[in-house]
Amino acid sequence: MLGWEFPPILTGGLGTACYGLSKALSNYVDLTLIIPRAEKSLTLDGVKILGLNYLGLEEELAYEEPSVSYNTFTDVTYVDANLNPYPMGIMFTQISKPVLRAEDVRNLYNTNESYGSNIMDKVATYAEVVTKIALNKEFDVIHAHDWITYPAAVKLKEATGKPLVLHIHSLETDRVGTHAKHQVNAVYEIEKKGMEAADRLIPVSHFTKSCAMNHYYIPEHKFHPVYNAIDAEPTFRLEKQGNEKIVLFLGRITFQKGPEFMAETAFKLLQRYQNVRFFVAGIGDQLQKLKDTTYAMGIYDKFIFAGFLNKPKVKEILAQADVYFMPSVSEPFGLSALEAAQFDIPSVLSIQSGVAEVMNHALKADYWDTDRFANYIYALLNYEGIRNDMIENTEQEIDAMSWDQSAQDVHKVYQTCV
Amino acid sequence: MTSICLYFQIHQPIRLKNYTFFQIGHDHQYDDVQLNYQILNKVADRCYLPVNALLLEMIKKHKGKFKVAFSISGVALEQFVQYRPEVITSIRRLVDTGCVEILSETYYHSLASVYSPEEFTKQVKKHRDTIKYLFDIEPTTFRNTELVYSDAVATQVANMGYYDTILAEGAPQLIENDDASFVFKAGETDLNLLLRHYKLSDDIAFRFPDQSWEHYPLTPEKFAKWVHALDGKADTINLFMDYETFGEHKGAETGILEFLRNMPEAVLANEHFSFLTPAETVKAYKVKKQLDVPSEITWADAERDLSGWNHNHMQKDALKKLYGLEVLIKESKSREFADIFGRLQTSDHLYYMSTKYWNDGVRQTFSPYKSPYDAYIIFMNVLSDFEQLVKSNL
Repeated sequence: MLGWEFPPILTGGLGTACYGLSKALSNYVDLTLIIPRAEKSLTLDGVKILGLNYLGLEEELAYEEPSVSYNTFTDVTYVDANLNPYPMGIMFTQISKPVLRAEDVRNLYNTNESYGSNIMDKVATYAEVVTKIALNKEFDVIHAHDWITYPAAVKLKEATGKPLVLHIHSLETDRVGTHAKHQVNAVYEIEKKGMEAADRLIPVSHFTKSCAMNHYYIPEHKFHPVYNAIDAEPTFRLEKQGNEKIVLFLGRITFQKGPEFMAETAFKLLQRYQNVRFFVAGIGDQLQKLKDTTYAMGIYDKFIFAGFLNKPKVKEILAQADVYFMPSVSEPFGLSALEAAQFDIPSVLSIQSGVAEVMNHALKADYWDTDRFANYIYALLNYEGIRNDMIENTEQEIDAMSWDQSAQDVHKVYQTCV
Repeated sequence: MTSICLYFQIHQPIRLKNYTFFQIGHDHQYDDVQLNYQILNKVADRCYLPVNALLLEMIKKHKGKFKVAFSISGVALEQFVQYRPEVITSIRRLVDTGCVEILSETYYHSLASVYSPEEFTKQVKKHRDTIKYLFDIEPTTFRNTELVYSDAVATQVANMGYYDTILAEGAPQLIENDDASFVFKAGETDLNLLLRHYKLSDDIAFRFPDQSWEHYPLTPEKFAKWVHALDGKADTINLFMDYETFGEHKGAETGILEFLRNMPEAVLANEHFSFLTPAETVKAYKVKKQLDVPSEITWADAERDLSGWNHNHMQKDALKKLYGLEVLIKESKSREFADIFGRLQTSDHLYYMSTKYWNDGVRQTFSPYKSPYDAYIIFMNVLSDFEQLVKSNL
């Protein structure tokens, strides 16, 4: 299995999903996971985790450096890291050259920054190195997660002829919008070529499947959607200071997450109901714009911009929130809605969210339908009956979910191609 | 002798429009006029008018041997008068044959018998006045919304003084199906109690078009055979069902209208069998025994209880807020507010909020809303506005 993000360093749902899935999948298959950077303190029973930051230093990562000297990565063109942190789109073709000296590879990945300005180098290097390592190993299926690992996966398939399964946690058309397909976009191209070469595709929702079909022109028979899941975890409630209600928005402040629709919804709600505050946890390239918008609307003081929060801080706010609000324009899954549900917070979600497919007891509207969003949030803040029913019914749904079920579904997909 | 007692329920709720919180405080028109108009017209064309015509034809053909009873909610009558008055005319023609009994119920098709005895009495009176006005009839048989029945309901109805008979479900927790086919005494009251034969009723109302049913297709002869099997074991076989079964819930293409047309003849082929209205039925037979029903039963769902209307948090919350307005309405002394209050009590509003069978096809078909949550939110928004409106007029 080829992965990229992995705990403890997470920027979105990709790492969490990869972790949950591989942990459960190890009960069904022999699993070797190759990731750019492994943390030795984090091990999983039954999963062999190989981090390229240990390349050449371990037996499993034995590596023969090529004799020809390659350009080192100092030759590569750099772009300002903050401009394009994944999972933002990388909207240009960047010249990338793989580094191949073991030490350079280790250095390349020994960073807390999973993406960064040299992301294309990381991807190209990963493709080269992974192929070399994997060729010495026994395996039946190649399973890769998202575009950063697709070049490696495709190369490996070309070299071995083994069946290729690509997991789709998100697409460039989600991250930068559907115009990605009309521009010269390296990531879009990588995704498209990967999906074309793959034997099976596992999108995390039917919504993502239809995005891949509509924007990448991939035939339907390749798709086997498997939902993400959540494992039971103890939660708690905290007493709020004051009686003001809290609507929580959690995630990157990017185009994909629909921050402008949140502002519009808040504006509409606040015309009629003021005992509420919108708590925004996250950063992103639309953050300043969101602040400006709320200021212009005269509702800035009804927002709290908390910035990026670590896990304990996230839990603290989840324990106080009254409504979880996810107006995403295009959300392949949206694991955070399940986390919020574990904390007994009723959700208002966009229909354009994969998670909406598994949450029958969330309130849903099109991402642009801010009238409907406002009406739903108003109801959740004012009418007790609906809160209790939604919470009770969602609890049952969440209890029935498990990564084990997802792993079984993935295992079935493997069985169709080996 | 064994008789068949056929009673059809006619009801169309006045559905609420998609009322959002933006409207609270300045929009006091709650009905989805367009939708109500459309549905009423559709059902009038598919069921009420053609089936009324069919019944008239059958009554004439059988020369007094085929009889039926109707109960028609006030809100349905109101919409007939407003949108399709010819439905009223066609019912009058049926009444004029002398073979049709009209029953009494609450005007608003409400659950007031459970939540407010005072409101219940008012609404029954309002319905009686309407039936008297439209059909010049003073009913002696009472049927409660969704056949909600208990000893307490029987007592309330008996105390009104108009009635000698009341209808209820032959609920399985109460009585074995075939044992229900007699006239009973309604608890401690002097009312006669007629119980629905749910198996034979549901064979027509639910199972008829089901191709996976072992008895599919149900022919009049087959049905008559089941009825005739009760010869000597039953006084009255009470077949109670929604009138909309014929042509609306079950489209004409299922053959249900042809079934209805030919069933009486098949039943009457055995001369031990006849058709009687509820009022005639209780005169024809002796009371079998007293039946006590301490807690409410209805004709709905497998449970035959009120859980379709008051089971979840939303329904309980909505009922509490709704009946909490009663004092204000009385205080306002406004007939208009009393009417709006009544319309909001129509049981359908609560049924749309039911999450009991989230994926049950039947329930989804009847609800005009996307989900039970939407139904609740609309209802609560409307109640919020209505409460403000009444208070501002005190």
